[in-house]
Amino acid sequence: MKQPEYSIEIGSDGKVRVEVKGAQGQLCMDLADLIRDIVGQEESRQKTSEYYSTDGAVRIQGLMHGRVREQP
Amino acid sequence: MSAVCVLTPIVIGSWPMIATAVGGVAASLGFSIASGVGNESGKRSHNKVESELPNSEVIEESISRGQSITIEKDGVTVRIGQDERGRCTVCVSSENLSKAEMKAVGDEVSGRLIQQFTYHKLVTELKQRRFEIVDEQMTADESIKLRVRVGGGPG
Repeated sequence: MKQPEYSIEIGSDGKVRVEVKGAQGQLCMDLADLIRDIVGQEESRQKTSEYYSTDGAVRIQGLMHGRVREQP
Repeated sequence: MSAVCVLTPIVIGSWPMIATAVGGVAASLGFSIASGVGNESGKRSHNKVESELPNSEVIEESISRGQSITIEKDGVTVRIGQDERGRCTVCVSSENLSKAEMKAVGDEVSGRLIQQFTYHKLVTELKQRRFEIVDEQMTADESIKLRVRVGGGPG
């Protein structure tokens, strides 16, 4: 699986915007918490669709199951 | 992406950490260091605006209160120091600028000070965790963008 990454933007006014990419569920939250603990107060946090997804292998398996069933 | 956070930095650090950030501020805004680290002294202007850096605390180590660094540009002097409570202060003085103009300079320096402090702290902490900084750039609006690959995990 692809290694998780941060995209961090530190504004000229000091505000920090952090995107956690390539991580789902608890790992994603842990990685976000790590930056919060280094930087300071959290103003907002939004989970995106990737947060709720399982990894790619499971998704592909599920899709293939569906296609097999559709065949006559 | 899987999560987006917006954070307000808390500037808590030793005086050397603040001094390092001030050096970054001076370089990025075209100021020169006028006095270096020292005790509060030198000429004083009556025309000045002083503000407190929000969410800041200078951790006292072996130094006494009242230390400051002064930076200068085009007749504008900015003294970054600490008050009796340990809060970081930014004092702008100039014989030519209005109070509003001096406040604007103070706000800009304060923002950059927080930016530089946060940048140095983040990079230091992430490198300690063996995370890899794969890209770093300054954008047109003077923001610092970092792309960091997670190494051995957050622990």
